[in-house]
Amino acid sequence: MTTLRDQIDEIIKNEPVALFMKGTPSFAACGNSQRALSALRTAGAPVTAVDILPDPRFRQELSALSGWPTIPQVFVKGELVGGADIVEELAATGELERKLSEALGEGYSGAREERVIALAPA
Amino acid sequence: MASVATEPLQTLLEQAFPDATELAVVDRTGGGDHFQVTVATPRFEGLSLVEQHRLVYDALAAPLSDGTIHELRIKTKGTA
Repeated sequence: MTTLRDQIDEIIKNEPVALFMKGTPSFAACGNSQRALSALRTAGAPVTAVDILPDPRFRQELSALSGWPTIPQVFVKGELVGGADIVEELAATGELERKLSEALGEGYSGAREERVIALAPA
Repeated sequence: MASVATEPLQTLLEQAFPDATELAVVDRTGGGDHFQVTVATPRFEGLSLVEQHRLVYDALAAPLSDGTIHELRIKTKGTA
């Protein structure tokens, strides 16, 4: 039986770009989650989204793991990039695209896709 | 402008960043739980944005955990 924390940890480590958000890409339930998603889309990033709303433990475990208290949280190749404010700021300066190219390779936006992973309460 | 909602946060930030050259807390919606904070301090020099924001979160740990802050937007700057 995989614990909730292990599931979150695996997503962070294995997904090129993980976005922990309120809601889903097709229906963001919070302005900040939408801001982070829009910044990632603009930068051409592939996005693996995880909705933290279905169970309060999702958010508790995520924040315990990352040490970041708010949602959304964006990780690139296992590294916390930040929340909506940072991702938006990095996108505006072009730094986000540089970071993505460095982590995922130059052609990262060519195979752009969005998918959703659902956490299963342990 | 200082208000009943922003003052406690302003105080916490002033205590955490005594060297700040710019420090502002805005109640974005007037509802007393959506805030925009801006902090500029030489202490942020050389730190990543994640590290800078973490210091702000640390300063506001109490109002973040007790639900006073429902939403927080952060803008940090070094002063160089």
